[in-house]
Amino acid sequence: MVSFLLLTAVIILAVISITVKRTVPAVLSFAILMFLLGLYYIGYGEKLLGLFQIFVYTGGIVVLMLFGVTVIGTNFPKEKGRAWAVTSIVLITIGFFIIPFILPSFNVVNNAGDIHEQVKVLTKNYAEITLFLAVVGASLLYGSIRMLHTLKHEKEIS
Amino acid sequence: MSFQIDMIFAIILFAIGLYGITTKADFLKIFFSLEMLLNAVILILASSAYHFGMTQNLAIAYIIIVIATLEAAAGVLIFLLANRITHEVIPDRLDEGGKYDDK
Repeated sequence: MVSFLLLTAVIILAVISITVKRTVPAVLSFAILMFLLGLYYIGYGEKLLGLFQIFVYTGGIVVLMLFGVTVIGTNFPKEKGRAWAVTSIVLITIGFFIIPFILPSFNVVNNAGDIHEQVKVLTKNYAEITLFLAVVGASLLYGSIRMLHTLKHEKEIS
Repeated sequence: MSFQIDMIFAIILFAIGLYGITTKADFLKIFFSLEMLLNAVILILASSAYHFGMTQNLAIAYIIIVIATLEAAAGVLIFLLANRITHEVIPDRLDEGGKYDDK
């Protein structure tokens, strides 16, 4: 029951953070959303994931967003009505809703394993994870440099 | 709670994120929506790890969180620098230059 309430609150906060017009309430509801999700994972016994979620999202990303807002300001445009987007999202969501009911039956364990087991999985696949993160980091770095170069070039032309 | 209920909540969260990405013009809300999309996937992974004992799914969830952090850091950096160069606040029109006119 508590889990159900937590997830319901997560959905309500998600709607609030997307639809509210003022910036600080949006950021706050996003932070509480991430905190509740972290609590939900801790309730499942996945303490490492829950703490990771709370520290990274509530502590890191929210502060980063606030920093961005303080630099740019909050003079953002109003929402544009995009009927095609809403229609396609409704169709996609209805399509996804079918999945939980056609899933094959698995053996229910109700135990994610303790932290040692989770860390063991991470260390076992250390090389693959490092390689994957290196590729992602390099792509982000390349994309950032490339975009800045393009923007500067366009600015010089104009 | 069963895996199906978790999955339904994750799909709703995913739909909210998808709606935010496609309809919002505010960079903050676009980032929020992106994080919601990723968190919907993390919710499904964590739930499947708990219900079916798939501990390896948690490793994928950790990687997704790290990538979300990288993406947020790089995204805010790119947007801040782009904003300084073009003085544009709408991500859709960054390539056009010029300020946004709210009329």
